[in-house]
Amino acid sequence: MKKILLEVEGLSTHFMTRNGVLKAVNDVSFTLHEGEIIGLVGESGSGKSVTGFSILGLVDAPGQIVAGSVRLQGRELIGMAEPELRTVRGREISMVFQDPSTTLNPVLSIGTQMRLALAAHETVSRQAADTRCADVLNKVGIPDAARRLDYFPHQFSGGMRQRVAIAIALLNHPKLIICDEPTTALDVSIQAQILLQMKTLAQDFGTAMIWISHDLSTVSSVASQLLVMYAGRIIESGPARDLLRIPNHPYTHGLLGSLPEHARPGQPLEQIPGQMPSLIDLGSECAFLSRCTKSDSLCHTSPTLRSDGSRRVRCHHPIAGDWH
Amino acid sequence: MLGFVIQRVVQAVVVMLIISILVFVGVYAVGNPIDVLISPDATQLIREQTIKAYGLDQPLWKQYLDFLMRLLQGDFGRSFVYNMPVIDLIFSRLPATIELTLTAVLGATVLGVPLGIYAGYRPDRFLSKMIMGLSIFGFSVPTFWIGLVLIFTFAVTLGWFPAGNRGPTASLWGIEWSFLTGEGLAYLFLPALNLSLFKFAMMVRLARAGTRETMLTDIVKFARASGESEFTILHRHVLRLISIPIVTVFGLELGSTLAFAVVTETIFSWPGVGKLIIDSIATLDRPVMVAYLMLVAFLFIMINLTVDIVYVFLDPRLRHRRS
Ligand SMILES: Nc1ncnc2c1ncn2[C@@H]1O[C@H](COP(=O)(O)OP(=O)(O)O)[C@@H](O)[C@H]1O
Ligand code: SF4
Ligand SMILES: [Mg+2]
Repeated sequence: MKKILLEVEGLSTHFMTRNGVLKAVNDVSFTLHEGEIIGLVGESGSGKSVTGFSILGLVDAPGQIVAGSVRLQGRELIGMAEPELRTVRGREISMVFQDPSTTLNPVLSIGTQMRLALAAHETVSRQAADTRCADVLNKVGIPDAARRLDYFPHQFSGGMRQRVAIAIALLNHPKLIICDEPTTALDVSIQAQILLQMKTLAQDFGTAMIWISHDLSTVSSVASQLLVMYAGRIIESGPARDLLRIPNHPYTHGLLGSLPEHARPGQPLEQIPGQMPSLIDLGSECAFLSRCTKSDSLCHTSPTLRSDGSRRVRCHHPIAGDWH
Repeated sequence: MLGFVIQRVVQAVVVMLIISILVFVGVYAVGNPIDVLISPDATQLIREQTIKAYGLDQPLWKQYLDFLMRLLQGDFGRSFVYNMPVIDLIFSRLPATIELTLTAVLGATVLGVPLGIYAGYRPDRFLSKMIMGLSIFGFSVPTFWIGLVLIFTFAVTLGWFPAGNRGPTASLWGIEWSFLTGEGLAYLFLPALNLSLFKFAMMVRLARAGTRETMLTDIVKFARASGESEFTILHRHVLRLISIPIVTVFGLELGSTLAFAVVTETIFSWPGVGKLIIDSIATLDRPVMVAYLMLVAFLFIMINLTVDIVYVFLDPRLRHRRS
């Protein structure tokens, strides 16, 4: 049995907006083991990115972690002093963002940017730094890296730029990388390539990953565990294979139904009708109520997250299973 | 890069030629220098001799060609009023103006940019609000008024600084500079402060707006996620990202202040070119006006060229587009 790396418990992050309290992340709990890849899925706006940023302690104003605990190998990160937190970021947990054209600094060479990320955690000679940067770049699939350290982001294609960002994230050999939809902005052909490569890299480096995606099929090819998020809450979780075979939550069921491979030829892709409710005035009913086909009067009270040991579901009428 | 510079230099020459025509025609079409140069009771002979001596009997195009030829040989003619070569006249005044302008613009930038970055980084702090208050003040109060207040407060009432003139200078590269002597610096202080307040206000604004915008980008978020310190983020990422508009305004301000430091130079009796040009307009001293306008155009072109070249160093995307 692998050791526990990260324990997130009751994490709640709210944005104090002008229109009211926006509950972006609500009571999120999960456990990640060393070297494990966990998929965090949900439609846009469900709170996936904010969950990732909360783990790193990088929630933008007017956001605030209002409750919960994030423990990395037993060390509590929430409430940790900023200087100490900075030694965690990049060295123990790092993050790759969605769009590499907005994350890399266009006016600094990639070598400079990598050296800054390296210098944030240790003092190394220029030569040693360059060797290490080129080494990691080669590992993520950038050929002839030593010569290209002087290149600027605009001299790379989108896919290559994302590889540079991944290299920066890997540079200090973190224990965990949070990948926030890192292939969404890229060509479909490159998406699969990078996905596979990341999986291999994670195995080689022994790095655990939280792979965020709005696309269930992408995640299921890398992750061993899945978390499905809806309106700031985890509504279902469990081992990827089980969850895909027998989804227990009506929302997950709907998501699977809308995958291209489930479409019948000649029929349009099935979509879950309706919209996610506003996160500002979530009522006391189930957040999925207005879109659910299985609802009844019980659903006007919010369901709790119930567990059967390996799987969890937040629904009064789960499709299958023995819940308590 | 070299091709880009050559292309810009050729453009600069063409622009200078066009400006020389405009300036020459414009200045020579105004007023009649003969009335100024020759007293009404002079004899006809003296009149004709003087007109001939200054080439005023020639047609305008001939006068222009002569002017251009002399100009290319570095001969800007003689001042009607001072009866000395214009080039000597201007160069005796130019260092004073350059010194005053550079001190003001550099000082405004060196102080304004870091304060502006701070105000953009921590917009809600009391100090940031003070900085912004000062910047609004610098924007809204006229230069001449500030100049008078400065003289009244620091020169007349407190007696800390001299009220005007340039004071002692020391020589460097054969040119006289105030900043090389302690007392000269005291003379330089008030006029430079006066001239820099508006530019300081502008630099604060520019740096603050750029910083606020940049701090919200994924570039900063990604740097933070990599564990980089806030100081590294501000001086390695943010400063570089906001430097392009700052360099642009720096160049523009440097040029326009060199040309139009008139108000401050007048208030502080600073013996620079601004005062010279005002006097030469009053006395219709055409060679001085022409040479001065040509010099200003030249300075602007040189500054713009420098700014364009600096851009290429600041923004690698331009570098590769051009090479
Ligand atoms: N800086 C912010 N200010 C206000 N609301 C925010 C901010 N960042 C995110 N949110 C809100 O939090 C919710 C979750 O966002 P996010 O985690 O980015 O969703 P996603 O699942 O698409 O990554 C959204 O409703 C979004 O509008
Ligand atoms: S609790 Fe009710 S409304 Fe919510 S998902 Fe389950 S069945 Fe649907
Ligand atoms: Mg997101």
